[in-house]
Amino acid sequence: MSGIQEDDDLVFHKITSLLEPLNEKGVKLTRETDIIADLEIDSVSLLDVVMDIEDNYDISIPVNTISEIKTIGELVDAIHKIKKEQS
Amino acid sequence: MSLFEKFEDKSRLLKGLLEQSPRDPFSVSMDEMLGPTRAMVKGKEIVLAGTNNYLGLTYDEGAIEAACDAVKSSGTGTTGSRFANGTYAGHKELEADLAEFLGYKHCIVFSTGYQANLGAISALAAPPNDVILIDADCHACIYDGCQLSGAETIRFRHNDPESLDKRLSRLGPEVKGKLVCLEGMYSMFGDVAPVKEFVEVAHKHGAQVLLDEAHSFGVFGEGGRGVCERDGVLADVDFYTGTFSKSLASIGGFVASNHPELEYLRFSSRPYVFTASPSPANVAAASAALKKISTDSSMRTRLWENAERIHAAFTQLGFELCAPASPVIAVKLKNKEEAFMAWNVLMENGVYVNLAIPPGTPNAASILRLSVSAAHTNEDLDVVVDAYTTLSQILAKGAA
Ligand SMILES: Cc1ncc(COP(=O)(O)O)c(C=O)c1O
Repeated sequence: MSGIQEDDDLVFHKITSLLEPLNEKGVKLTRETDIIADLEIDSVSLLDVVMDIEDNYDISIPVNTISEIKTIGELVDAIHKIKKEQS
Repeated sequence: MSLFEKFEDKSRLLKGLLEQSPRDPFSVSMDEMLGPTRAMVKGKEIVLAGTNNYLGLTYDEGAIEAACDAVKSSGTGTTGSRFANGTYAGHKELEADLAEFLGYKHCIVFSTGYQANLGAISALAAPPNDVILIDADCHACIYDGCQLSGAETIRFRHNDPESLDKRLSRLGPEVKGKLVCLEGMYSMFGDVAPVKEFVEVAHKHGAQVLLDEAHSFGVFGEGGRGVCERDGVLADVDFYTGTFSKSLASIGGFVASNHPELEYLRFSSRPYVFTASPSPANVAAASAALKKISTDSSMRTRLWENAERIHAAFTQLGFELCAPASPVIAVKLKNKEEAFMAWNVLMENGVYVNLAIPPGTPNAASILRLSVSAAHTNEDLDVVVDAYTTLSQILAKGAA
C-alpha cells in the first residue's frame, strides 16, 4: 500500500515540476488543481506537457484521455492506469 | 447567460491586446481587390503578403474564363451533395485529372480541404480497434477528423520520426488499423516534414500514411506534386490529401490514393455525403489551374526566387526566422504585445501579413507569418522589404 502511495507521489511530483514553469500566477499545486482553469494555461500547452510525461514514462496518453482530464489528480491516476496497461 | 460565459473568458485575454492595437488584425476586410497581390484596406493600398496564393493563379485568365463558362453552362450551385444530385461531369473529370497528375489510381473531390481531411480520417479510422497517430503541429482539420472518427488518437513530436516510432512500438496486438497523419509543408512556420523517414517508420509498423500537402501542392517537387514527390515517396503515401484553396486558387479539396478501398468513402464519409458539392465555377477554376500547373513550371520557379529573396533580406535584417527558406516565412517576436505592435507597423507601411499568437501556434510562439506568391512583382517585394526594414529599426530602438 505504501508502495502505491510512494509511486503516486513520484508521479505527482513529476507532473508538478513540469507544470511549474507554466504556473505564472504561482498557484499552489495540489491533486485538486484544475490544470486549465486554475493555472490559466491553454489546452495546447497542456498537450505539450503531456508529451513530456509520455517520454518520461515511456507511455502513450491518447488525446481522447487528456480531453477528459481536469485536475492534476486525474492526470496522476490516468498515468498509473496507462502505465499498468502498457507495461 | 451561461452559454456565453466561456467566450468572455477567452475574449478577456484578447481584449487588452486589441484595445492597445490601432487596427484589429483579426477583422481586416479587403474592401476592394486590385489583383492577386494588392487590395484596398480602409482607403489604403496594401501589398498582400499573408495569403495562400502561392502560384498567384487567382486572376489567371484561363481559370477566370473557365469559371465564367461553367456558371453559364452548369449554373451557380449544385444544390446537393456528391452522394446525391451534386456530382456533375466536372467533378468526375477533375478527380480523373488530379489522379493522373499525381499518379494515383483513385481520387475523391470534397467541398473543401477541411472536409477532405475530416472526411478521410473520420471514415478510415474507427473505435475501438483503430489508432490514429498525428504530428503534434497538424492543422485543426486533422485534429477534428480524429475527434469525428472517435478512434484513439496519439500525438507524436513535430517532425520527429523517432517519436512516431516509439509510439507505434508501444501499441498492443489488439490494435488493428493504424493511421499516421502529417503534413508536407506546415502553414505557420513553413517548415517541411521528413516525409520519407515518416513513411518508412509507418510502414515498418504496418501503419498507413495520410499526408496533407495543402500548402505544398504546386510548390514542392519537380512537377509540383508536393514534398512527397521531392522526397521520392509519392507512390508510397497511402492517402494524399489536398486543397483547391491555395495553389489551385479556388475552393474545394481532395483525397487521392492507390488503394481501391478509397471508394468506400463515397458512402461512409459524412463530410462527403452530407454537404453540397463544390460549385461548377469552383471546379472549373481548379481544373484550369491544375492544367496550368501541370504544363508550366515558371510560376514555381518565380515563387522560389521570391521566397529566397525575402528570406535572405529578413535574415540580413536580423529577424529570428522559424524555418529555412520556403514560401512561408515566419518571423518570431518576443511576445504577443510585440507581435501586435509589429503587425500594425507593417500595415501602416502598406503590407498585410498574418498575425498568429498562442494558443494555436507551435511552441506558443507569437509570429508574423508572411507568404510569398509567384504573382508578387519586384515592386511588391520592395514594399515588403522596406516595411520590414522600418520594423527592424523600431524593434532595435525598443531594445536599446
Ligand atoms: C494544413 C491544412 N490542411 C487543410 C486546410 C483546409 O483547406 P481548405 O481551405 O480547403 O478548407 C488548410 C487550410 O487552412 C491547411 O492549412
